[in-house]
Amino acid sequence: MDTQEQPKGATSTATAELALDLRGVDKHFGGTKALRAASLAVRPGTVHALLGGNGSGKSTAIKILAGVYEADAGELTIFGENHLLLGYTSTTAAAAGLRFVHQDLGLFEDLSIEENFALDAGYPRNVLGGVRWGALRRQVAKVLAEYELDVDPRRPVHDLRPSDRTMVAIARALQGADTERLILVLDEPTASLAAHESNLLLEKVRRLADRGQTVIIVSHRLQEVLSVAHDFTVFRDGRVAGALVDAQPTEDELISIMAGGLVVALRPTGSQSHTTGRPMLEVNGVSSGPLRNVTFTAHEGEILGIAGLVGSGRSSLLQTLFGAFEPVSGTMTLGGSPFAPRSVDDAMRAGVGLVPENRVREAAFMDRSVRENLSIAMLAEYWSAKWMPRARETRKAEDLIQRFGVKVGGPSALFSSMSGGNQQKVVIARWLQRDPRLLLLDEPTQGVDVMSRADIYATIRRSAQAGCTVVVASSDMSELHALCDRILVLARGRITQEVLAGDLKVDELTSLVLREPSTRKTIYEPTALEETTTS
Amino acid sequence: MTDTAAPPVPPATESIVTLKRTPLIARIFENYALVILTALVFLFFTFYPASSAAFPTINNLNVILGSQAVIAMIAIAALFPLVSGHFDFSLGATAAMAQVLCAGFMANSGWPIWAAIVVPILIAGVVGVLNGFFVTRLHMNPFVTTLGMAMLLSGVTLWYTGGQTIISGIDPAITRFGSMRFMGLPLVVYIVLAVAAVAWYFFTHTPYGRSLYAIGSNAASARLVGVRVDRNVWWSFIVAALIAGGAGTMQLARMGSATASAGNELLFPALAAVFLGATAITPGFFNVWGTVVGAIFVSISVSGLTLSGASGWASNVFNGIALLAAVGLSTYLGRRKRRG
Repeated sequence: MDTQEQPKGATSTATAELALDLRGVDKHFGGTKALRAASLAVRPGTVHALLGGNGSGKSTAIKILAGVYEADAGELTIFGENHLLLGYTSTTAAAAGLRFVHQDLGLFEDLSIEENFALDAGYPRNVLGGVRWGALRRQVAKVLAEYELDVDPRRPVHDLRPSDRTMVAIARALQGADTERLILVLDEPTASLAAHESNLLLEKVRRLADRGQTVIIVSHRLQEVLSVAHDFTVFRDGRVAGALVDAQPTEDELISIMAGGLVVALRPTGSQSHTTGRPMLEVNGVSSGPLRNVTFTAHEGEILGIAGLVGSGRSSLLQTLFGAFEPVSGTMTLGGSPFAPRSVDDAMRAGVGLVPENRVREAAFMDRSVRENLSIAMLAEYWSAKWMPRARETRKAEDLIQRFGVKVGGPSALFSSMSGGNQQKVVIARWLQRDPRLLLLDEPTQGVDVMSRADIYATIRRSAQAGCTVVVASSDMSELHALCDRILVLARGRITQEVLAGDLKVDELTSLVLREPSTRKTIYEPTALEETTTS
Repeated sequence: MTDTAAPPVPPATESIVTLKRTPLIARIFENYALVILTALVFLFFTFYPASSAAFPTINNLNVILGSQAVIAMIAIAALFPLVSGHFDFSLGATAAMAQVLCAGFMANSGWPIWAAIVVPILIAGVVGVLNGFFVTRLHMNPFVTTLGMAMLLSGVTLWYTGGQTIISGIDPAITRFGSMRFMGLPLVVYIVLAVAAVAWYFFTHTPYGRSLYAIGSNAASARLVGVRVDRNVWWSFIVAALIAGGAGTMQLARMGSATASAGNELLFPALAAVFLGATAITPGFFNVWGTVVGAIFVSISVSGLTLSGASGWASNVFNGIALLAAVGLSTYLGRRKRRG
């Protein structure tokens, strides 16, 4: 479905006119090919959008440009100058004129704007080696004016509005060089911004381009990209699925390129839901953190998916159900009785388990053994005997290791000695050993290899079959499509859609999630529930 | 059920991947290296001409064990916050305060012995409550907070004693107790062993102790498996202070007098024992029995050095070197273990 691939012959002659020309890049991680003959051609003075779903390879391409990863093969030309991709580092990238501003802006929030500039470019000094604050202030004020930032350089960064913070990061990245010879790469610049802040920022980015600045922008939010970009390159499965030059595509066209022919889901469901139709979890008008008036019901034995972009409130929803956050308003019931967990152990006692999104930071005890990582969730239960013999825990751990197919030296092996997939199996086993009534999974297969992924899916299905209600939040649409009986789409804290398994294909689901809700109305209809329960 | 992707549950033998395992002998050696080293140091001073006359006598061993009992007790106290990843520098000062208060209550206020023992321990507990409050509720840095607390306590005890050593008016029952023996060993040694046994039970067989290790490993993960992180860390400061208070009254029983001090002569050897302990039994991790062995190692070495004619500064130098070596070694072992 290549809409308008750059003609092969044209690239070599057009190289001189291109700001950046990346050709034939291969990159593999272990057995998986992240990039296959990928290319990116950016015209000077334009905003170029780099698009693609999860795992499409766009992040890998950016990281190769930044010198984080080394490409296996490929050529790179920046402003007519050839750069070897072998031995290409972040220093070469900077020397070649690439400037990166990531989602995490890398600003020192508590320091003033001028110090943020000076820490990057150096402080102007007087003869004694002291800082010439006056000179620094004048210099920074000049740069800020250039970037249409009407702020005092002495103000600390955390005082600024979010879009201005991003602009400060951009100005800092571009300071002190001929901006026409620089390429600004914005990696998900609006992911953590509210809609009006995004618009302010994008307007300024567009004006930068009008002044001759070359910009590459990576974003999930198609509407925003459409409003600002001249050219588009869409990645899918490590290849260029489409390159549109000076085009005005519609959102639907882009989505179809991005989602088109997505690899088949591991196994589509639909026919074999295990739900008994008895409501297990009822959430009524819950607001908490980014969540706004969320209402839904999950049933016994049902696998319910929560789809949504980063920042849509997926994780907040699960953490609220797990008692880690207390909702501001709304009520919940679990198994028919009121459920208002005030802490995580409240929720655990009520039969809830959570596999958090960030395994390393929120689930792992890296320097402890597998046995201890498993038994930590059972301390209260084991304590009933007032004695916690290691032998009993070891037996239990051996049993779980075998039941969940964990590949590990044994219960006494350190958690950190396992691969990501096996670590995740242990974290899931940690909760399933408690026979939870409600299992919450946040990105259950992130950083997990394909084989472990299949094992984990099977494990989830088996526990649903045993009557456990499973809620899966994921940014991977093929995962939700393969696993779930029903999927709720969450956008900016609200449930905007409800989809039954088998109703939609993966690419349709992807487009539902990618499409920003134009109106903020809740499309949730309680009647749809009855259909699920009887199916 | 058309579950085509049936879980490939491999037979048990296949799920066990053979890892690079240290041979059993090597592991025993690693776990008990400190015990072996302690024995070697003991043998050395027994046969070293300069110390062989005084060192291996029952009397000297009693002195060693008796005087080091207090330090071992403070070392066990320090374990509680350390296991959960927090430093408590006020334990030495807390013990010194309890010692002075216990003596002062008997000598100056004429309190009965039981009240003069119990009240200082409770006051020590209040110090732990404050430390825990500052660290868990106000999120103050534990290192600086407890250092400040130590300074505050030593100042207050100095004010209480007016700089005088309290020596008369102390109930002789408590000093009698301090020099009492049971089966040839000072009674206080059994108390320390009992405290160690209870601490071991706490750390290995109660949810509270196990949760402290989890918190020390990853507090965010601990919170998401239902551990009340703040509450348990707070309790670790309280328990540590209570044990240190007990150690203070024990010190009074041993010495029969009390002088205001910052308690550093108690705290630093205790920390050396704790960190040395982290190199033994379960290498790389703080543990109770390793701590006890560490305390014995430090006391035997210091006593041997003193009896071979080394000057007073030798014990400080030794404790300093032991602390540095212990921290270095336990960090190295921990890191190697974490790497797998």
